[in-house]
Amino acid sequence: MNAGIDLLNVLKSRAVTVAFLWAVAAVVFTLIAEISPCRSEPANGFEQERRHMVTTQLRERGVEDVATLRAMATVPRHLFVPDSLQRSAYADTPLPIGHGQTISQPYIVAYMTAMLALEPHHKVLEIGTGSGYQAAVLAELTDHVYTMEIIPELATSADNRLKAAGYTSVQLRQGDGYNGWPSAAPFDAVIVTAAAEFIPPPLLKQLREGGRMIIPVGSPFFVQHLMLVEKKNDEITTRSLMPVRFVPFRRKE
Amino acid sequence: MALVLISAALIGFQLEQMQLLAMIQWHHFAYLVISVALLGFGASGTCIALFRPFLLRNLDWLLPVLLFVCALLMACALPFSKGMIETFDIFFVVVEPVQSISLLLSQAIYLLVFFFGALPIGLVFIAHSHRINSLYSANLVGSGLGGVGAVFFMGFLWPLDLPAVTAFLPWAAGCLVATEVRRILVCSTGLLSLVGIVVLLVQPQQTRFSEYKDIRRILDIPGAAIVAAQPDPQGQVHLVRAPTLRYAPGLSLTYTKEIPEVSGVVLINGDWFGVVNDAPPRFYQATTTALPYAISMRERVLLLQAGTGAEITLAQEKGATTITAVEPHQKAARLSWSGFGLNSPFTNQEHQQEYVFVQPRTWLARNQTKYDLITLPVVGRFGGGSGVMALQEQYLLTKEAITEMWHSLSVKGVLQISTWVDTPSRNTLRLAATIREVLEEQGVNPALHTVALRSWNLVTFIVKRSKLTSGEIEQVRVFCNDLQFDPILLPGLQTEERQRYHTIADPDFFSNLDMLSSPSLRQILYAGYAYDIQPTSDGRPFFSQFLRWQSLPDLTRLFGERSVSFLELGYLVVLVSFLQATVAAIVLILLPLLHVGRPGDRRLQGWAVLYFGALGLGYMFFEIMLIYKLTLFFGHPLYAAAAGISSLLIFSGVGSRLSSWVSSQGVGLAPIALVAGILLLLYSRILSPILSWAMVGSAVWKSIVFLLVITPPGIIMGMPFPLGLAQLAGQSKRQAAWAWGINGCSSVVSAGLATIVAVEFGFSVVLVMAGCAYVLAAVAALLKSQP
Repeated sequence: MNAGIDLLNVLKSRAVTVAFLWAVAAVVFTLIAEISPCRSEPANGFEQERRHMVTTQLRERGVEDVATLRAMATVPRHLFVPDSLQRSAYADTPLPIGHGQTISQPYIVAYMTAMLALEPHHKVLEIGTGSGYQAAVLAELTDHVYTMEIIPELATSADNRLKAAGYTSVQLRQGDGYNGWPSAAPFDAVIVTAAAEFIPPPLLKQLREGGRMIIPVGSPFFVQHLMLVEKKNDEITTRSLMPVRFVPFRRKE
Repeated sequence: MALVLISAALIGFQLEQMQLLAMIQWHHFAYLVISVALLGFGASGTCIALFRPFLLRNLDWLLPVLLFVCALLMACALPFSKGMIETFDIFFVVVEPVQSISLLLSQAIYLLVFFFGALPIGLVFIAHSHRINSLYSANLVGSGLGGVGAVFFMGFLWPLDLPAVTAFLPWAAGCLVATEVRRILVCSTGLLSLVGIVVLLVQPQQTRFSEYKDIRRILDIPGAAIVAAQPDPQGQVHLVRAPTLRYAPGLSLTYTKEIPEVSGVVLINGDWFGVVNDAPPRFYQATTTALPYAISMRERVLLLQAGTGAEITLAQEKGATTITAVEPHQKAARLSWSGFGLNSPFTNQEHQQEYVFVQPRTWLARNQTKYDLITLPVVGRFGGGSGVMALQEQYLLTKEAITEMWHSLSVKGVLQISTWVDTPSRNTLRLAATIREVLEEQGVNPALHTVALRSWNLVTFIVKRSKLTSGEIEQVRVFCNDLQFDPILLPGLQTEERQRYHTIADPDFFSNLDMLSSPSLRQILYAGYAYDIQPTSDGRPFFSQFLRWQSLPDLTRLFGERSVSFLELGYLVVLVSFLQATVAAIVLILLPLLHVGRPGDRRLQGWAVLYFGALGLGYMFFEIMLIYKLTLFFGHPLYAAAAGISSLLIFSGVGSRLSSWVSSQGVGLAPIALVAGILLLLYSRILSPILSWAMVGSAVWKSIVFLLVITPPGIIMGMPFPLGLAQLAGQSKRQAAWAWGINGCSSVVSAGLATIVAVEFGFSVVLVMAGCAYVLAAVAALLKSQP
């Protein structure tokens, strides 16, 4: 009798197990389909996505510099990300571009650009070209953009992307950013897109009197604050900037 | 013998996975491994409950087959899962459910290993329940030996090779129990398993570190290469040569000379350990860490957690006569010198200099020397850690540690601690709060003994044993003006001095810092700040854990859901894995058991639910607490885990063995559980003082004391489970199955819960809860004896 009940129980549990496995398989396939990169590109060239990005990610968060907003609305960000990530190019997130590097979140790019307060005649040096996107945004504001990338493969692909997108005025050099670009110095602005534990003395030397330097602080994926360095009257001062201002929450007494 | 082998393999494999996950990802995943292992054990119990007649009927051929499958899975687990583990992105775990599922799936293969390993153990227990005491004893002793063996082999085998080596144990166990060698299934499984193990053993395994690990960042530099690597139980050591890499933390922006490229970087488990320089760099005198030398001569210098000894240069340059560098990781330090043909980092042999390889806290407790300067490594991670170190015990930053350092200072001596600037401030405020509270407890006015100054990215605190003189205060000002640093704590400081060169983003930072000076205002700040910034203690040593659950909704709203770096992730991951493990325990262990009837009906008496549930909670709470407490005592989480798990299981094995004798003397379940509970409650008061007292001794002395401490609870805690199970199995094997499942489920839940309770309330509360759980089990046993 007991054996009979056991056999029945085994059969029942087998049926339950099979059903459960089918359910798991369905969930897994759904997830795979969801996370797989989309192979087809929207036919509109992403103008709508770019406009949406400028409105919701930049303007609504306090980026007000008109020139920067115009530059962000013009540069085709999707051309500066890996093909497989083009659908996410305008999302509110950094994206991997290979070699452990990222293309910064649009908001950070815009915020850093605005903080440089560039004029059309300004000369700007970028350390860490990455995909070339930041250089392209800078090139919308001035014709004097110099950019350096230490990783040869990234330097080559960024050069190709910049040229393909029409940013031919950008000067790109593969090499160690520590030494800066002495032959083109002094610079009105320096933008260091890779965080470092110290600011290389040659870069400070190549910054023009009255010039501005901006450095992100944090992991490549999550900038926590930005550092604005200014050189005035032989003094170098820094100002920590938070992309989002932190307000301590005080409890009611 | 087979039982000893499979038990040893399962615990060894568990420790290896903890080591591997700590290497590829981070330390907090170690507790996930414990949960998965317990889940596998619990699920195997459920399987036995459901299919017992079939399994027992075919035990002869099933036992070797299960052991062979376990061996094969053990060898294959890493190659199958490493892709998912490597690509798991901790920073997306909150906003992308796929990440949590990826984490869950990566653990599925490990679940199967423990399931197939635990199944034969459970079957043997049920089939030979009349010998449960000796079998349970063999199981626990084997587990204990597995823990010790795993740590031993980690000293010279690569973490990636260990699982395949360990897989030979269940395979050998399978051979030992394979009585029906003629059966094709047994032979073919055994052969297939052996071929699989050998193939995977000879095939070199490779894995990638998480892209957030320092080693990945460094290897991306053109020309960077690993030039030496060594396995070690404390973590795999790498020496990387990286051309163009320069390192100058806290450097003044006024420094205009060349920063030399470093010769190499040493990393442990892919995390930064220190740099090696060909020639002593000259820039250290332009960093915030040069302040102690600027205000006075420092003759006797103690560098705690000295790493590669890079800061020895500054002490030598400034004329220190006695330099003591204390570093717990001997292999990493030695590799940093031997990799470049040096015998030690001391280039100047004129003065008394020594490198000591012990835990800094042990050195402080043992040594009576008074120092003119004690330095600590920089606190936190550059740019903020985002909580990845949240569950790492940092015993060098607790109030007790700072107090010990205070007492090790000479009259003019200073303690120097630096922290990376983080925004919003967490490390700086917690460090300031710790110094304040310690000095107040020592009966001095902190304001007259403390200096803090700030560069653009580093805050350095100086704590002087005697009051700062007016001359010293003036020298601090001169030092700051010369190098363009801002003093932020200094007697007689003017408001405008604090941000002369470096303006910070948070306008409330200085008012918060000043609130710490008043005990009443300090409490208001602690209660109202968005992060937990209260000082840590040896009973709750999680310096990098800042998350406050009540702030989470506000932080998410303020920074947006993608700004997870402000949310302190490490602790969140523990919560996610705890919830996953709890759900999995219910689905895999308890729900299937409904098949054999509900608890509480005539098939399972109510007392057993309470009894076995409480035992699971109590045992795991004690085990997890032990691992945490022993980290300070033995100096590393892995040593702590191996010593804690192994000794507890071995002594519980002895207890299990003795339980039948105890039972034969007429002692019931309730008194035994009650004694265990009272003992654990007693330990909540005496364990910490005993371990602190014994910490000053040698390794042998510490081991003897530890064994004496662990023996009583280990033995007594090993008795209630086999006694209860034997009594229940005597009435009904189905009831025994339910008891096994409930015990497994509560063990899974308690492994994660113990960590959460430890972080929130401290280790002593975990221990009190463990004691209460055993008292609850005693009450449940009393219920059983009621008519």
